[in-house]
Amino acid sequence: MKNQLCLRQFLFLISMLLMLSGCWDQTNIDKRAYVVAIGIDKGEDNKINISYLITNPELSKQEGASSEPAYEIITFPTNDLISAKNTANSVIAKEITYNMLGVIIVSEELAKEPEFIRYMYDVTKDREIKRNKTMIITKEDVKTFLTENKPKLETRVHKYFEFIIENAKNAGLIPDFKLHSYFSITESDAGLFLSPYATTEQVPGGKYTVGEDELLAGELNIEGDSNTQFLGSAVFKEGKMIGTLNGEETRLTILLNETLEMGEIYTTYSDPFNQQYRISTRMMKRDKNEVKMDFTGYIPVIDVTVPVYTDILSTHSMETFDNGKIEQLKLHIEDEINKKLNNLIKRTQEEFKGEPFGWALIARKKFWTRHDFEKFDWMNTYPNMKVNVKVMVTIGTFGEQSKLPDLSEVRD
Amino acid sequence: MEKMRVKQFFNKLIKEEHPPFEKAAKEDDLLKKKQIDSSLAKNMEIFKEIYYVPNNCDVNIRDIEIGGTKKMAAVLSISSISNIKIIEELIIRPLLSNDNESKVIEKLLSQQVRKAQVIEDILKEINNGNTALFVDGEPNAYIINTSNFQGRSVEKAENEVVVKGPKESFNEQAITNISLIRKKIRDENLIVESTTISKRAKNELYLLYIKDIANEELLTTIRNKINSLDVDSIQNLSVLEQYIEDNIYSLFPTILYTERPDRAGEFLEDGFIVLIMDNSPDALILPATFWSFFHNAEDHYLRFLFGNFIRILRLLALFITLFISAIYIAITNYHVEMIPPDLLLAISSTREIVPFPPLVEILMLEIAFELIREGGLRVPKPIGPTIGIVGALILGQAAVQANLVSPLVVIIVALGGLSSFAIGDTNLNYTIRLMRFPFLISAGVFGLYGLTALFTIGLFYMTSIKSFGVPYLAPMTPNDSTAKDTIFRRLLKNELYRPGYLKPKDIEKKAGE
Repeated sequence: MKNQLCLRQFLFLISMLLMLSGCWDQTNIDKRAYVVAIGIDKGEDNKINISYLITNPELSKQEGASSEPAYEIITFPTNDLISAKNTANSVIAKEITYNMLGVIIVSEELAKEPEFIRYMYDVTKDREIKRNKTMIITKEDVKTFLTENKPKLETRVHKYFEFIIENAKNAGLIPDFKLHSYFSITESDAGLFLSPYATTEQVPGGKYTVGEDELLAGELNIEGDSNTQFLGSAVFKEGKMIGTLNGEETRLTILLNETLEMGEIYTTYSDPFNQQYRISTRMMKRDKNEVKMDFTGYIPVIDVTVPVYTDILSTHSMETFDNGKIEQLKLHIEDEINKKLNNLIKRTQEEFKGEPFGWALIARKKFWTRHDFEKFDWMNTYPNMKVNVKVMVTIGTFGEQSKLPDLSEVRD
Repeated sequence: MEKMRVKQFFNKLIKEEHPPFEKAAKEDDLLKKKQIDSSLAKNMEIFKEIYYVPNNCDVNIRDIEIGGTKKMAAVLSISSISNIKIIEELIIRPLLSNDNESKVIEKLLSQQVRKAQVIEDILKEINNGNTALFVDGEPNAYIINTSNFQGRSVEKAENEVVVKGPKESFNEQAITNISLIRKKIRDENLIVESTTISKRAKNELYLLYIKDIANEELLTTIRNKINSLDVDSIQNLSVLEQYIEDNIYSLFPTILYTERPDRAGEFLEDGFIVLIMDNSPDALILPATFWSFFHNAEDHYLRFLFGNFIRILRLLALFITLFISAIYIAITNYHVEMIPPDLLLAISSTREIVPFPPLVEILMLEIAFELIREGGLRVPKPIGPTIGIVGALILGQAAVQANLVSPLVVIIVALGGLSSFAIGDTNLNYTIRLMRFPFLISAGVFGLYGLTALFTIGLFYMTSIKSFGVPYLAPMTPNDSTAKDTIFRRLLKNELYRPGYLKPKDIEKKAGE
């Protein structure tokens, strides 16, 4: 009897559960329109122009080839990211969802607006937008960027963004900061946030440089069908874009910033023995940077030691390296990186008045209380700090080298 | 008030429709309790009446005159269940050809002879295929073992197939089955108790245990349970199982049913109790835990790593069967962000042209799969091969082409269905297959949350079940350090103890240490 009573109560509770919770927010998987990229442009007055890049699942179908396009782009003015979902449904038949969202693309024009940060906080309000996504800054309007961007080999547009960001990031050409960092860095008010910089507009003729990476997106002279370039980074201070770093500077930033992971970077240096040729190297970071800070003096001092491991891959001078020459080469590379780093740091101190190297995180540990750190005012103190950078290059292997012919004998 | 009246009305109705049942056996019972007479003619009259001779055609009565003593005698047997040759050569011929007047009957026959007086006992012996010899002037009957029931020989196990290990299985004769077990355990402590468990059909049940291992209390519980049965007939163990199990309505089986003598032997040696009956090509093992259903004979026959490999596979199969369609429903309806983009698009594009919501789609296919399975099982052998082809063709190919279901759902249902075959035990197999449906529904209503909630409730329930006093998930919970043979088996040399949850008299498996 008692058991039955228990059972009845239990069943009652279960049925209540059905009413209280349930499938009210369920939408069938095939009744949604999947937005792969959201573009945000400056609109009139306080409005923004939002662009949706909506992928077409039809392509996945095996039987019966479809003649529908792979994706659809729509652009319309709106007040914010969230209500835009509904507005879009006046054009798009299915329910708009951000579940598959890969990137948020913002035009440089809007990013430089002081009001920009207000729109960005919409991202935190929508639960479908994951904060491990990338924010891309484009030189032109996002609308133009999306329509002009026509990847030839990746018909599935979400794959295109996924792959190009992944690989450009591994090459160190764009920074690996996610949306989440935008908020955390802006809120801590002590550092600079970097965001990948991209464009479909090429500078006519490109720009000549000695190395291969001292370029910003659009400056690389590439001929062919693909016209989109992901290169360099946009610099954000206090949630607002203030400038750009080119590919080389981005790589150096990654080298200095411990919170960013550095992959294997292929790059070239001038040959100390024959100035007209360059040496190809593979750079890796095997150990952590050593950052020492001294805030006791009148001018705060930061000493950074950057260990770099370098493999020499190819030398056009066809020089044979003995131990002495290796030592010379090492000093030469150290010197070259040092110069570049000092230039970069100088630029951040003078032009940006902030650092994107994540040193604020390290510095925070040197203070007893958070209040102390805030009083120290890292952002404003940084431009006056003395930063000493020392690069320690370890020359690794030369790889497997086939015996090079003696040029004088070949050309006799 | 109203209720009472309605009840009374129905009671009346029932009473009117069914006059008191005739207790047909009552008068006979009285007669059968009597002892037999010393007059042969009188005895024969009684037995002829009981056996309804001569209408009952396979009951044989041979009247003979014993040589030497010149006494009249009758040999009574049922020809269909006794060995006619033995009766002829070892009973009738020695009696006829005797010429010694002083020899007693026991000495005349080369077979072992028992005496019986009560009619009931004699009937029981005859019904078991033995032969009764009545001699004029003697108030008892001589019983000679001649029983010869027809049945299969020992064949290969069909349901619990192993690749490595013994292949023979139980058949329908209890004596053969006991012999198969005794072949494995040559131990004087292996006891075979026999009891009659039904009133009319007089079905014999054999209770097997090892005297110095099996727990006395457990034995008493089982004996009491068996003796308290009050039914006319229990044909075989499959029926008996339902009479003696603890949780009749439960989805989970609590008595293990095996057709392999090696498994029965293994369990006996661990202190379990085995039930064997005529007409059952199997044995019941009790008490049973969840793990005994999950395990397979081959787990211990294969080498350590291989044995554990198939255990992992079986566990995987179990979870796939239970969850795969439910997870599909939950994820595609509620947790779309969990699916990798390419799969998401693939599912979305194939689902676009399917007219039903995913839950209906999956349920349709699951039910169709179960139908094919049941149909395939019952189909007469000559038609068998066709059903496979038709089923696979219609469901797989045509349903997709007709846009009734999406191809991914076919894969999911087929995978779940095939995985269920990896769970060898018939009972557990049904449990898992049935449980899929509640999981499907809960996933369709609450998503992954519902799935986990139902799974948790299921686990709660499983810990509450007991089989003859043994917790269902022992030795995992309550934790028992003696026998750790649960998901994975241990090295044989490390299996030192018998399962402690049975409270065996001898817990150590190694003798003499």
